[in-house]
Parts: sequence; C-alpha cells; structure tokens
Amino acid sequence: MKDLLKALPWIGPAVALIAAVVLFPVGLMFWNSTRDISQSGVDDGGVGLANFATVIGFQYFWPILGRTVVWVVVVVGCTLIGSLALAALLNKAFPGRRLVRMAVIVPWASSVVMTTLVVHYGLEPYFGIINSFLVDVGLISTPEGYGWTRHPGTAFAWAMAVAVFVSLPFTTYTVLAGLQTVPGETVEAARIDGASGVRTYFSVVLPQLRGAISVAVLINIINVFNSLPILRVMTGSIPGYDADTVMTMIFKYMQNQRQIDLASALSVIAFLVVIAIVAVYVRVVRPLEEV
Amino acid sequence: MAQYKRLGGIMAITLAATTGLTACGFGGSSGEATGDGTTLDLLVPSYSDATQGNWDDVIAGFEEENPDIDVNLQVESWDNLESVIATKIQGGDAPDIYNGGPFAGFAEDELLYPVEEVTSEETYADFQPTFLENAQVGGTTYGLPFIASARALFVNDALLEEAGAEVPTTWDELLESAKKVSELGGGVAGYGMPLGSEEAQAEAAVWLWGGGGTFGDAEAITIDTPENLPGAEFVKKMIDEGATQADAGATDRSPLFDIFVQGKVGMQVGLPPSVGQIESDNPDLEYSIHPIPTEDGSPFTLGVADHLMAFQNDGDKQEAITAFFDYFYSADVYVPWVQAEGFLPTTLSGSEQLAGEEALAPFLEVLPDAQFYPSTNPDWAAADSAFKALFGQLDGKKSAQDVLTEIQEQVDAG
Repeated sequence: MKDLLKALPWIGPAVALIAAVVLFPVGLMFWNSTRDISQSGVDDGGVGLANFATVIGFQYFWPILGRTVVWVVVVVGCTLIGSLALAALLNKAFPGRRLVRMAVIVPWASSVVMTTLVVHYGLEPYFGIINSFLVDVGLISTPEGYGWTRHPGTAFAWAMAVAVFVSLPFTTYTVLAGLQTVPGETVEAARIDGASGVRTYFSVVLPQLRGAISVAVLINIINVFNSLPILRVMTGSIPGYDADTVMTMIFKYMQNQRQIDLASALSVIAFLVVIAIVAVYVRVVRPLEEV
Repeated sequence: MAQYKRLGGIMAITLAATTGLTACGFGGSSGEATGDGTTLDLLVPSYSDATQGNWDDVIAGFEEENPDIDVNLQVESWDNLESVIATKIQGGDAPDIYNGGPFAGFAEDELLYPVEEVTSEETYADFQPTFLENAQVGGTTYGLPFIASARALFVNDALLEEAGAEVPTTWDELLESAKKVSELGGGVAGYGMPLGSEEAQAEAAVWLWGGGGTFGDAEAITIDTPENLPGAEFVKKMIDEGATQADAGATDRSPLFDIFVQGKVGMQVGLPPSVGQIESDNPDLEYSIHPIPTEDGSPFTLGVADHLMAFQNDGDKQEAITAFFDYFYSADVYVPWVQAEGFLPTTLSGSEQLAGEEALAPFLEVLPDAQFYPSTNPDWAAADSAFKALFGQLDGKKSAQDVLTEIQEQVDAG
C-alpha cells in the first residue's frame, strides 16, 4: 500500500489518461446503449435492454454478423499467407532488396481512404481505369464496363482485396522480424540432415515463427474487425443490407438513421464480440508466451 | 515582427486547443457573449465550392452594420451536417442559427424559436405563403424558407433526334423514348435513374408522386399505399426493359448527372444548378428542359425548400438573431446569394427581382405545381434515410410491393 502511494505520482498521469480516453468513452457507450436518444440528440430516458432487442431482432442482423466473420477470416487468412510468402522473399539477399522492402511499406504509409478511393474510381463504369482495361481486352462486353461496386458480392470481394493489400505491410514486417530471429544453425542442421527446402520451411522455420505470427494475427483480427473506411467507400452506394458488416451497420445507424442509441447498442455487441474472440485466442494460442 | 509571429503562434495554439475541446462535444458553450458584444454561431452546409465565400460576404456586410455582433461561421458538408448538429445538441453546444433540411424533430424537442419571434413583421410577410405553410409544425412556423429548388426533365436533344424519339410527357412515352435511345448502344443510357443512396428519396418522389401517390403529411408517413405502388412498379419496368443505365439501384445522382453532361444519357431529372454545371463543363451539349413526365401527363414537380432555423439555447440572443435574419432577407443581400448558388428564392421580393432570368424560367414555370416532402413530420427524417437505404432494391429480385413494405416498416420502427 505504501509502495502504491509512492508510485502514484509517477503512474497517476498515465492512469488519468487511460481513464479519460479509454474508460470514459467505453462507459459512455454502454450508458448510451441503454437510453432512448432522439434524432436530434436529446436523451429521453432509460429503456433498459430494449435497444439490444431491436438491434438483434433486426431481420438482417445474423447475415450481417455472418458476413463479418467471413470478412475477418478471409482478410486475415489471405493477409497471413501473402505476408509469409513476401517475408520469405524479402529475407533472401538479392540485388535491390532494400528498394523492394521500401516499396512494401507504401500501402502502409498511404491513407486507407485514399487507397480505397483510387480502386473505387478505377472500378467506376464509363471512366474507371480498371473497367476501361477490362473492356479493351474484351473481358467485358458492355461498352461502359461493369458496376463492380454496385453489386453486393463483387463490391465486398473488392473490399476484401483492398483490405488484404493494406494489411500486408504490417504483417510482412512482423513476420520478417520473426524470420531474422530464426538461428541459422537450425536451418543448416536441417539441410545437413537432408531435409528438402519445403520440409525445412514447414518443420523448422515456421514453428519458430509462432510468436511473430500469433501477435500479427491477433492485431490483424482486431484491426480488420473494426475496419470501416474500406467497406464504407466500396459498398456505400449499395441499397439494402447485403454488403454490410457490423461496423458499417453501426455507421448506418449513426449516420443515416441517426439512432445513436441503437448504434451504441450494436457497438457494445461488437465490443463484446472482439473481447470474446481475443480472450479465446489468447487462451488457445498463448501469443505472449515464449516458445 | 518576431513578437507578432509569436503572438500568432500562441493564438493558433489557443485556437487549436479550443476547437479540439468543442470537437469532442463536451466543450461546454463556445461563443459566449464577450463584453457588450454578442456572438452568433452559424452552422451551414456547403452547397457548392463558393458557399463559404458567399457567407463570408454576407457576414462581413452584417458585421459592418452591426458592430456589436460577431458571427462565427462553420461550414460542413451535407454528409456530415446532421451528425455534427446532433453531436452539438447532445453536448449542449447548439449553434444559434442553423441551415438544414428537416427541422420538425428540433421543433418537437422544443429547441427552436418560432420564426415570428426572430424576424420583423416585414421580413415574415415577404415569404411565399406556400413555403411558410411547408415550414410549420402544429400551426407555428419554425423554419425560415431559405432556398428553393424544383426539378425538371433535362433532355439530350441530339441523342433523342438520333434515335428518332419524342420528348415524353407520360410514362409510356418516356419508356418508349428511353428504350429507343438505349438501343443506340455505345454505353448510351435512355433514362438516367439514380436510386443510389445519395438522393434516392428524390427519384422516389418523382415516380411515386407522378403516379398519384404521396409520402403522407404532418401526421403520418404513408409509403406502403396502393397509390404509391404504380410508381414503384413502373420504376421496375423501366429497369427491367433496359430503358435506364446499368445498376440503377446503386447509382448516385451527382456522378450520373456528370455522365448526362458528357452526353451519354438521353434524359435525366435535374435541378436549377444543373444548368450552370452544363454551362461550365460542356457548353456544347444540345439539351432542353421539360416538365417531368407523369403517369397521365399532368404537370408536377418536386419542390424542395431548405430552411434556416434559430436555436433557443440560453434565450439571450433573440435580438441579435432578428437583426441577422432581417439583414439577410433584404432583397439586396438575399437575391445575390440565391443567384450565386443557382437556386430559386423563397421571398416575394426575391421572385420579383429574378422574374426576367431566362435560365430559371422553366423552373419558375413549374413551381406552382410543386409538391413538398412531408418534412414537418418528425418521422420524415426516418423515412428519408429509409428511402436512401432501401429504395434502390427495386433494381433486383424484390418486388415493388416488398420494397415499399420494408421502407414503411423501417419508418414505423424509427
């Protein structure tokens, strides 16, 4: 207790900061989710859990939740496979490696909205560069191109492609850092024992990357689950709820329908889902433990 | 010199810190009265790139006449406007004067001054009576009609001539002409139908009302009615028979009108500012403006009026607000503003001044037949967003009846 008091002046500011920027907003979100808030933002009193019932009772809720799972699994999965390949390549010495490593950072350094908008405009009918290309090489027969971002399926697929693209740099660098901690002797020993390159990678290198991969996956799951801008740009003009994830649905409640109470309730659900996923993941994979 | 620089730096930091605080919504009241002077906070949307400059001119003129009143201008995009105002109200930091669309929700929450309390008698009497009626909740006027627009059919004469099609006045003629134009090929669309989220409610009104339907009145929003069904079914027919551009359900209005301006769309419903857009982007386009075709050919237009409204807040700025409105609505200030943005005036004196404008003539002509959104109904905002989110589903497997039912359900739940 005395130690705690002595430490307080040093940890106090940090605790206050966490309380102000983390705990307070979370608390406010939980509070708002149990209130009836009018469209112009006036609090009309508590309603218990009615907002949650409305949100879960919405006929598209379960499809949206399912789509969110697909979104997270596919994006994180593809990102991981791509990053492992890319990191393995970047770990080899070759002329110009430094430049290639720099180039991999570019999607990381540029704004996500910007990257998505570039792809989005490319996919526009009439003037989009991707559509023009596909029309010119004869893959699309209509002269104005295909409305990629106007059909839920194709728009969602393109959004996933963009999400993988912007997630690659971070994951690649995490894996690359992991690769550099793999001792050369283990690989050499495998080679002396006559193991093939593929066997060496899967049986010797990959197990030693466990720490790096599990941290990268954990961070990616949280990031991808909470990702709004890519889907917002790619699927924003599609009517109905056939391309929505939990995040875009929160946004629709808040921005389009201006139901802050329902948006808060869905946010709380999303928050709990993420906490649950992370808890299970930490329990099963134990990413923070030494190998 | 160096001292001034440092002063500038300190001011910049202070400013940044203050705006940062207000931005989080818990900043308390900004714009408190300083000394004898009063500060009016003005929150407006951006109609065009020139909006900020137009307001700056108005404010400069106003502050010169009223040296004891300062006006703080905040310009937001239409996309953000409604969430900004909701956040400000929730944070107890509502602006004094706000320019927006729906206002009935604010009136119902008793946040607004009745217009008669914040305008002089002359200013109040100068508004077009039809617009004032459209701005009333329970017999009291809460919104000052600000600018009006009407819709009309923009027709690409060159394309219609090439296709041998006539300018339509009824739906059947429209379908026939649009199909002829679509058959020209080369990516040309007969009728540009924007059902995407940007402004689906407008295209919905054009069709549902054109078939004799309504969206309801101040008491009830009625979307799922037999009167609205023919319009929705005809939209489906237009799409299914290939009379429109591809993917009508997810096409937004502004990008589609760009394509009309490029000469790739035969006919599309446009607004007064569309005239200016064609003039600046593609003056060679051969086009003409006609009344919107309806089921039986009777004239009709969708009128839209945006409103100014005054928030009560602490109730101590009534005089300053009145001074501002009286200044703004004087014809010499108001008409140039409306003209610069390419809209129509809502005051009698303004209409008189603009009577000779040729470009506005086709719109002023249809204005007497204008019908308005039921924007005084507090549920209209919910209906508006339901149309934006759901009406585009007509381009798809859902039947017209199902789409109307789903919209009605979302309105009733909102």
